[in-house]
Amino acid sequence: MYRSQQLALKYLTAAIALFGVMIIAGLLSACYYVHPDLLFGILHFNIAKILHIDTMIIWLLMGFMGAIYWFLPGEFGRELAGIKAAEILFYVFCVAVAVVAVVFIFVQYGGSDEAALWLINQGRKYVEAPRWAAISVVVVMAVFAYNVLGTAYAARKITGVTAVLMVDLIPLLALYLIAFPAISNMSVDLFWWWWLVHLWVEATWEVLIGCIMALTLMQLLGTSRRIVETWLYIEVALVLGTGILGLGHHYFWIGTPSYWLAIGGFFSALEPLPLLGMVVHAIYDAGTHRMKTTNQPAFYWMLAEAFGNFLGAGVWGFMITLPQINLYAHGTQWTVSHGHFAFWGAYACGVLSVVYLVLQKTRGLTHVDGALWKWSFAALNLGIVGMVGGLLVSGVAQAFVERAIGGSTHAAFIAGQENQWFVEGMVTRLVFGFVFAAGYVVLVWDMVTLGKRLPVPAKLQAAE
Amino acid sequence: MTALNLMVTALSLGLYVALAGSYGLSYAIARLRGGGNLPRGPLIIYGLHGATAIFIVVWTPLQIGWKGLIVASSIAFLVLPPITWRFLEYTHETEVSG
Repeated sequence: MYRSQQLALKYLTAAIALFGVMIIAGLLSACYYVHPDLLFGILHFNIAKILHIDTMIIWLLMGFMGAIYWFLPGEFGRELAGIKAAEILFYVFCVAVAVVAVVFIFVQYGGSDEAALWLINQGRKYVEAPRWAAISVVVVMAVFAYNVLGTAYAARKITGVTAVLMVDLIPLLALYLIAFPAISNMSVDLFWWWWLVHLWVEATWEVLIGCIMALTLMQLLGTSRRIVETWLYIEVALVLGTGILGLGHHYFWIGTPSYWLAIGGFFSALEPLPLLGMVVHAIYDAGTHRMKTTNQPAFYWMLAEAFGNFLGAGVWGFMITLPQINLYAHGTQWTVSHGHFAFWGAYACGVLSVVYLVLQKTRGLTHVDGALWKWSFAALNLGIVGMVGGLLVSGVAQAFVERAIGGSTHAAFIAGQENQWFVEGMVTRLVFGFVFAAGYVVLVWDMVTLGKRLPVPAKLQAAE
Repeated sequence: MTALNLMVTALSLGLYVALAGSYGLSYAIARLRGGGNLPRGPLIIYGLHGATAIFIVVWTPLQIGWKGLIVASSIAFLVLPPITWRFLEYTHETEVSG
């Protein structure tokens, strides 16, 4: 095994651990909605929410990096350039994440000064990490980019997938730099901040996961390089074509010119089209392999990615993306529902698929199947659907009571929060959050013991 | 837009895309099972999708431009699964023969 692949194992392990932290922080955040006085004066809701959202980003990012570190030596036929730096920076990354989490929990917030920005919290949603930690992320990503580009240069070899990956690394790194400026004009600040949040998620991450899924398909299903690369180009063109200007749906109500209503609405409305193509493609692959591969969990998680992406980003997104609807729905639990479903479908399922694939290779298993992964698959997907359903009910109640009837006044906000549909939706989200957490526990147990559990007949033989 | 209009319109838009997805899903399954170019089941689902599109165009207060986009998207949703399927078959066949 290459050192890069050993590093991949570390990244994927860290990703799965942070996935657990994200779930705990999410459960805590969900509890606040049901019991608003929970941990009053000890740990504020906003800290739990920051931990939930930031660990979500970091675990997925680590999952992507782990996947790339795993696949690249195979693509280039050699060890990665700068692997020593990458190994060191893995620990730097982990320590930075741990220190930031400790600061968030125990210090929570500082004054309105530069020191607070550098040491405690930058105060910008999704990129709250203090500047020193954000600089660490930049260094890690820069070395990651060097690993890819330097190896391609050293190997004098570029494949279609790695070419797309290399181009994608430029905006992946450059857009994160928007995490730094402290712009005092809120409209200007949000204008650029959405470049980071939206273009990372709906452009660079989509391309990154597209590359990872292309490489996974080749290993998992033995699909030829020519086919996956052809589809990767098509997917990238469609996703970028709709995703980049789909950015406009975040510009509807932040003080930008009104033409963004038309641009954002139009391109966002096109986003379900490539996702439908992915669903058809997934069925084609599933059918030609008769739902059987040597790695069933990896295969099913890959299918879940196509369907989850369509439902979460396509269906849930389309409900609220046109400006006339978005006027009432933005910033409610409706958008939270969409966000949960879309992230789960578009990224989380893909990372879990890669983890199972890597486990199969590292543990030398000819066949991966069993009951545990099915239980975790069922519980995690049931959990997310239940959570998303609860959030949808709450969000619709908010849009209806608080926005459309109440006209977004403070009294209307309170009326929305006290509305029975809203409250019951939040309770439902919490209940299914525990189902999701149970699925995670089974998932981890399955991953830890995969290949170490003897099948029942073998156990009987051993006993005799 | 009234509060009721908001809910009806948003949920119709969700149903509209969900039915488009169901059409694509059922089309792919029908083709896997050896159905022809225009299998009946998927066409029925597409009919429901079309009915939802008509409902959105006729009864919701969306502006005319968005209604035009709904109609255009419905056409795209209709042709996308067959085109994707044909291209998938083409790429895999040429791979085998090549």
